[in-house]
Parts: sequence; C-alpha cells; structure tokens
Amino acid sequence: MMHMRSIGTLLTFMLLFFVGCRPDEEVVPDPPVSPPTTLRVMVVPHWNGTPFNMNDVYVNVNDYRVKVQAIKLYLADVRLVVDGSETVVKDIDFFNLESGTASVEWSVPAGTWTSLRAGLGVPAAMNAADPITYPTNHPLSLSTGTWWSWSAGYRFLQFDGRYDLDGSGTGPVEELFSMHTGMDACYTEFDLDLGGPFTIPAGQTKTLTLRMDVSKFFYSDTDTLDLTTENQTHGENVPLALELTNNAVHSFSAE
Amino acid sequence: MLSAILLVGCRKDPALDVDVLDAPFALQLPIGAPYPLIPPENPLTMASVQLGKALFFDTRLSRDGTISCATCHHPDRAFSDTTPLSAGIEGRLGMRNASTLGNVAYHSSFFRDGGVPTLERQVIAPIQDEMEMDHSLEHAATAVAGDAQYEKWSALAYGRAVDPFVITRAIASYERTLISGWSRFDRYFYQGEASAMSASEINGWALFRSANLNCTACHNGFDLSDHSFQNIGQYLEYTDPGRERITLQPTDNGKFKVPTLRNIALTGPYMHDGTMTTLPEVIDHFASGGLAHPNRSPLLTTFVLSAAEKADLIAFLHALTDERSLDQVP
Repeated sequence: MMHMRSIGTLLTFMLLFFVGCRPDEEVVPDPPVSPPTTLRVMVVPHWNGTPFNMNDVYVNVNDYRVKVQAIKLYLADVRLVVDGSETVVKDIDFFNLESGTASVEWSVPAGTWTSLRAGLGVPAAMNAADPITYPTNHPLSLSTGTWWSWSAGYRFLQFDGRYDLDGSGTGPVEELFSMHTGMDACYTEFDLDLGGPFTIPAGQTKTLTLRMDVSKFFYSDTDTLDLTTENQTHGENVPLALELTNNAVHSFSAE
Repeated sequence: MLSAILLVGCRKDPALDVDVLDAPFALQLPIGAPYPLIPPENPLTMASVQLGKALFFDTRLSRDGTISCATCHHPDRAFSDTTPLSAGIEGRLGMRNASTLGNVAYHSSFFRDGGVPTLERQVIAPIQDEMEMDHSLEHAATAVAGDAQYEKWSALAYGRAVDPFVITRAIASYERTLISGWSRFDRYFYQGEASAMSASEINGWALFRSANLNCTACHNGFDLSDHSFQNIGQYLEYTDPGRERITLQPTDNGKFKVPTLRNIALTGPYMHDGTMTTLPEVIDHFASGGLAHPNRSPLLTTFVLSAAEKADLIAFLHALTDERSLDQVP
C-alpha cells in the first residue's frame, strides 16, 4: 500500500515537472503600458467677459442686482464630433461650481474634433434608475445631493442665489431665487463649436475649457428671465425651467 | 418546576435565531386579500422584515436624532398621522398629510401624486427631505452601522453590511407586511359572517355602493381604492399641483391618488392637505359634488342624504377599522 502511494507521488511530481516546462506556457512579458489619453473638461464661469465669483454682486440684464450662490449641473451623453461623425466620450458627469470652477477628466480616444455635443441634464433611462445602485463616487450617487426624491429623478441644473430689484441700490441683496430644473422634459441637447480642430494626442492630457457666461442665465435672444416673477422652479414651474435650461445651454463657449 | 425553567431558558428568541431569520417571512393575509407583488430582488425574509421594523422606529435616521418613520406614521393610527401636516425635525412642516401605510404593498406608485414608482425608492424621500428627517441616506446609514443586531440581520437578509441599499430594502420590506383586512367589514363581506356588521353599517354599505353616491367608482377592490388620480373639486385653485407636478400636464392639476378607506376612522385629518377633520365634513364635501375646477372628476355626483343615512354611512366607514394590529412582526 505504501509502495503504491510512493509511486503515485512520484508520478504527480513528474506530471507537474512536464507541465511546468511546456514551452507554450513560458511567461510572456506584459506589453509596455502606454499613458492614457485624457480629456480634461474644465467649466469656467464668467460674467459677460469679466471674472465671476460666487456671492459677488452683479447687475443682470434687467438691471437687478444678483448674487449667485450655487450652480450645479449635469452634462450627459457627451460626444466629440468631426465631419458629422460622433465619438461618445462620457455617459454623464456632474459639475459643482461652488468653488468657482469645476473640472473632470475622461479617458478618450486620441483624435481631432471640431465640435462637442452633449445634453444638459440626465437622460431618461438614467433618470429613472435607482440611485442606490450607484457607488458613492458616481455622479448619480445620492452623495451629490441632486436626487429629487419626490419625483424619483434628478435635479439637472441648480441655480440659486439672491437678488435685489433695485440695480442701483446699495442695500442687502437678500431676496431668494432658487431654480432647479429636472424631469425628462428639461433634458436638452446642445452643440458647441470648438473653434477649430481640437486635437487630443495619444497618451496625453488635453484640456478643454468650457466658458460659462452666467449673465446669460438671465436672458436669451428673445426674452429675459425676470426675477420679479420668475424666481422659483422646483418642478412646478416648467416654463421657467425650460427657459432657464435654454439660457444655460447658450451660456457655454469653448476656449 | 426546574424542567419548566430549563425549557423556557432554552427556547430560542425568534428575533435572534439565525435559522428563523434566514427563513422567508410568512405574510399573513386575510380572506379576500390577493398576494401582493413582492419584488423578486427584495424578497420578504424574517431578517429583512425585522431589520426594517427596527429601522422604521429608529430616530437615528433623522439628522438630529429626534424623529423616525413612526413619528409621522403612528402604528395605533393605521400608520398615519393625527395632524394635518406632519412635523419634521425642528418642527418643520411638510406640504401634505401623511397617508396610512396600510396595504402599501398593493400600490404601484407612491406619495399622493404617485411620483415614485417603488416602495424602495420611496424610503429615500422622508429621510432626505429637508422638511422631514433632513439627513443624507449615507449619513443615516453611518449612524446605524455597527449596531450588532442590525448588522446580523443585514448580513442574513442581504449579505452585506448596513448601508443605504439595505436601509431602503429593509424598510420597504417591513412596510409591505402592513396588511389591512381584518375589519368587521371583512368578516361580513369576505367571510360571510352576517352578524359582523350592524343593520346601520349594512345600510351604510348599501349606500356606499349605490349609483347615487358612486363611491365605488374609485373606492373599490380589496384596498377600497383603485389608486387612480382624481381631482375632487376641493379648490378652484390648488396651491399644490398634485399629479401635475409629476406629469407636467395641466389636465392633472389638483389630482391626487385615491386613498384607501380602510381604517378611515383612524386616519384623519383627511384630504391631501389634511384640511378636513371629520368624516361628516368629508361626506358633506362629496355630497356637494365639489367645486367646479376644470379637472374635477366626472365621477363625482351630487347627492342628498338624510341624517339617518349619513349616520349609516359613517357607521359603515367605522366598520372598516382593523380589529387587529397591522404590524405582523413579533
């Protein structure tokens, strides 16, 4: 019995020896890791060409003094476009401008593009998903504070601050405006001309600066957003939410 | 004597016994009640329901640790509130009356405007709403994480530590067990016990079903609600847009989900804003046909009741009160 067990052990070692020496099992070195190709998108707010700071007082198109205190938004289904051909570079990301600017980095293919196409907001399928399923560091996790629990969806754009209807006044700017867009109807796609060929070389990080003119949040080519009557939307004032959305997508320019 | 003490001492506490906790929760259903739709991804187990109940009563879910779900959903009031608008932390008032949680297992949308499609997602709202618990769900999870009993239940039910996912699933599971269907009306109607209701209550039931009153156009089925959205002409102009807030359709302005009438004698004050305090007041409103809002339901009719008929109708509504607790969890 012991003899048979010894023979078995010997055979096992021989098998392992031969398997270990098979030429097609030779260790192949990993290919060299090339550095990732990265697009850094930086949203930089300004006020009609002048520097913008949260909580500073500006005079808007209606000659009202305004103090913006929060701008938060989602950009989704982001595509880079050249010659009518689109490359999806990001499903969704969140920009919180509380500290002035906001930037994110996305892994993208190398290439050259001439425009950017994106949606302001959260696409319907994502908007209907359970926020609990997203990890904490995901833009759609509850940690962003953008979940509108009563509607089971997200705030797409949050624009909050204070105003004073007297543009020449010196008193406190304390009336509250709070405009939060959401609901599928507010998801709005827009195109942004990159001002010429925008090349992202392989293995490098390229920055795309999206300048956001906050003064344009208060007007469009055809209308102004009058804080006298238009200062609150939280799902109940859809016309105002759509107006703000339209103004916001036209506030972007690429640098 | 000694053996009796030994036997008692050795009896397993069902709230702690792993074998028991790992088992499916045996949902008790009254005669006539359909089996509710339980999402397969969140099955009822003893552990999930026990954990859900503990969390439901846990004030640590609120930011300042002062209120729990049960603060506004009193078990002795069929899990509804006694005030028109419930107070959140620091006395902050919400915008709508807290509904009963009885039979929420049968609902396909939640809140009075139906804006939330699942009970699991509904759980997020009161915890995060700044007018209610004003907590982030993640911070609430941190506040209760590490509780040895919770972690044991959570591991058994969901195979993970207590986190936002577990909190939403467990509370939803507990709420699904709050079945209402043990009233004298149920004994009379579903169990054929003719003496379970008085003559006055039976007459009220007949009035309730009559074409003249047309209550059953919406208050029908086991839950005495079809859960549709109706404008009942409470106001000519609604400060709360109701269903319109969700659908964005002006034709839904002022529409709210038809509430169950089960335990209606316990769940006042009434209406979406809790502005009607008594059942006679509610009956008077429906007898008037409501105000002429453009979206007023065409199902509303005007009707006239004698004092005796009104008393019968109210008696019937009282017969809808459960005779046992909705809470099935030991």
